[in-house]
Amino acid sequence: MGTLNGLPGLYAATAKAAVQTQFQYRTAHYAYILGMVAEPVVYLVVWSAVADTHGGAVGGITAGQFAAYYIVWTLVRQMNIVFTPYGWEERIQKGELSGHLLRPVHPIHYDLAYFAGMKVVTVALWLPIGAVLWVAFRPTFDISPLEVAVFAVAIWGAYLIRSMLLWVLGMITFWTTRVGAIYDVYFTAELLLSGRLVPLALLPAWAGGIADVLPFKYTFGYPIEVLAGSLSTRELLTGLGLQAVWTAVGVVLVAVVWRFGVRRYGAVGS
Amino acid sequence: MEPDIRVEELEKTFRVPEREAGLRASVRSLVRRTTRDVVAVGGISFAVDPGEMVGFLGPNGAGKTTTLKMLSGLLFPSAGTVRVLGHVPSKREKDFLRRITLVMGNRNQLQWDLPALDTYAMNRAIYRIPEPDFRRTRDELIELLEIGDQVRKPVRQLSLGERMKAEVCGALLHSPQVLFLDEPTIGLDVTMQKRIRAFLAEYNARQGATMLLTSHYMADVQALCRRVVVIDHGTILYDGSLRALSTRFAQRQTITATIPDRTGLESLGEVVSVDGDRVTLRVDKDRSAAVAGRLLAEHGVTDLTIEDPPVEDVIEQVFAAGALRP
Amino acid sequence: MREALRLAGTFLRIGILNELQYRVNFAFSLVQSLIAVGTSLAVLALVFANTTSLGGWSAGELLVVMGAYVLVGGVIRTVIQPNMRQLMTSVQDGTLDFLLTKPADGQLLASVRRVELWQGVDVLVGTALVVVAAVRLPGALSLVDALGFVVTLLLGLIAIYCFWLVLTMLSFWITYVDPIIELFDGMYQAGRWPVSVYPGWLRVGFTVLVPLAFAVTVPASALTGRLTGWLLLGSLAFTTVLATFTRLIWHHALHRYSGASA
Repeated sequence: MGTLNGLPGLYAATAKAAVQTQFQYRTAHYAYILGMVAEPVVYLVVWSAVADTHGGAVGGITAGQFAAYYIVWTLVRQMNIVFTPYGWEERIQKGELSGHLLRPVHPIHYDLAYFAGMKVVTVALWLPIGAVLWVAFRPTFDISPLEVAVFAVAIWGAYLIRSMLLWVLGMITFWTTRVGAIYDVYFTAELLLSGRLVPLALLPAWAGGIADVLPFKYTFGYPIEVLAGSLSTRELLTGLGLQAVWTAVGVVLVAVVWRFGVRRYGAVGS
Repeated sequence: MEPDIRVEELEKTFRVPEREAGLRASVRSLVRRTTRDVVAVGGISFAVDPGEMVGFLGPNGAGKTTTLKMLSGLLFPSAGTVRVLGHVPSKREKDFLRRITLVMGNRNQLQWDLPALDTYAMNRAIYRIPEPDFRRTRDELIELLEIGDQVRKPVRQLSLGERMKAEVCGALLHSPQVLFLDEPTIGLDVTMQKRIRAFLAEYNARQGATMLLTSHYMADVQALCRRVVVIDHGTILYDGSLRALSTRFAQRQTITATIPDRTGLESLGEVVSVDGDRVTLRVDKDRSAAVAGRLLAEHGVTDLTIEDPPVEDVIEQVFAAGALRP
Repeated sequence: MREALRLAGTFLRIGILNELQYRVNFAFSLVQSLIAVGTSLAVLALVFANTTSLGGWSAGELLVVMGAYVLVGGVIRTVIQPNMRQLMTSVQDGTLDFLLTKPADGQLLASVRRVELWQGVDVLVGTALVVVAAVRLPGALSLVDALGFVVTLLLGLIAIYCFWLVLTMLSFWITYVDPIIELFDGMYQAGRWPVSVYPGWLRVGFTVLVPLAFAVTVPASALTGRLTGWLLLGSLAFTTVLATFTRLIWHHALHRYSGASA
């Protein structure tokens, strides 16, 4: 590990530091994960109840399939945890951002590497919870090896896209600290149009159309459907392609906003 | 030889929103924002040669930290030019960033929950330091700073002084050519302050790195810098050697003597202290020779010394004088 | 008791005066509250596009539940959570001592000294929602129903307060309580829906462990004609027991705390 230099070296060293640090806080981590599980469990219970009154299925999705959806949801959710945009204010105030600016490396690499490393611990902690959910809610699964392979890539695509998008959101802090309402709008859109609240198939047609052209779907719904749904091979692969496109869009957005953000920071200080 | 740092007519003005108290004012402020300009740095010029150690001395709010931030690229100047190692700092070129370092007194850049060694490994990757060079520099620094045991413990378990030393070590791993040190000994106890100063002096002697140090502790500057820049309210009041500072600005001197006959002393000067027969007088500099003469002649003084006031007093005087300037 | 109320009133008044300075926050809080309500309505619409009743509750009745949920959430974020967070911090940095040496009841002081006024927008929005939804229900709304709502709401709020206080007091023993707070914050979301929606074991959990049933479902029941005398008595009994239990824990925790920091 010691001989890697430059960016790969930084990623390796940072990820390692992340694993070591987060492992120390595993108990606290567990509480976070449990709290996060409450959200999809509520959705699952409600939709199962609706399915029951509706003769076993809603929009063609059975209770067992809902269970599968929301259980995979919890895993995808772990994978798309990234640096919170709400953390930017503190980062600037504490002078951490200045520290990053003094280094000859773009700060996003630190965040990407750190949160990627964290996944190791997070997913390991999630496994028993996933198992308990499986036993409690009896999901129905129909998985092929191709789906597993695509899923392994798709979760990282989701991670990258969400990292970029939330970084851009966080950078709004350069211009104003009154970001609460803006973030609310963003997260509401994400909630409704990403597959976070409900499988996208259940959205009314017009909403589904909007969801298709936005990136949110590729951070939640698409990766979940890869494993829990029944996508055709063509859909699986097109999805990956679109994830790549949205990642590239995200990278460009970050680069552009960062340039303006640094200029603003350099003009007004912290 | 080209100076490492060259600053010309450097200015930095901040636009600060004005906020008044009262209901009407806060409603008005929703519609129309009034701002006012605060001049943090008002046109300063200086140059620092390679290997020099310069101390920036000034009270809080004088503009020291703002100047350092402009030199390291964190802030953009409002006017004027600044060149460090030939680069424009605000461009933040990678080559530039690899050759400088900024150490801030109470800021933490080490990973809190891990041993400092782990952060050092991350720094190695960031600055692309070849493994053998890295190991050699790291071990040298650890030895110089005497933190061999401390770098293996999680940073949160270290005392403030130990943490500072570990921070300094991390900041120097890439052997920068220019060091910016902002209040490096703030909050540390006297012994630790001395150790850090000793380290910095040693580092400068060995590596020949250029150092710019800001502090409001006189002792930092006295111990490390032959040249001092006194700054207040964003302007440079003095730029030269520390010794000359006293000679130039001190307006009074102290005369200490053993005076058995102390009648009429008050007319000669301000009596600072009396200890048995030892008396200390404070006298205007242009009169000190005359007063000394009279003491020797009229008061039967046997031994007598004339001294410049401590540098702190001089500095205080310089600030007071600077504040009165228009 | 009168002294306690007077003290609480003073603190609240000062807290409000303090917050009034930040008027812009009101506009932003309103926007955020409306976005949240809009989202909840969208969720309800989605659910009821596919069914006519959920857990035995109709769409109109679920609207009442939603209103109660927003209202209670508002009270929690205005008065309960700020004080609990402050309490946790004072335990960690030792300023709890200052609180305890004041000549007034420590528990009262710790519970009312902070107010985050602008979260109170949710209280207004929630109340409006409850009123609108209740009026639109089939059948007339009687005074008894309204009274029942107010009484059970107060009981429910006391229950939630006790729950949060006990949780916060855990910080006297465990230093890292923050994520546990996050955990129960996440669970509060379950209160959007009436407890009857949840399978048996969850239903018990949300009644006894996290008193969501008492805070949201029961008051909503009052306005939808589901409140029986037994349910009301049960609420009263549960809340009384919980409040007494909380008071005991408070004393025990203080005992522990003063012993520890000597």
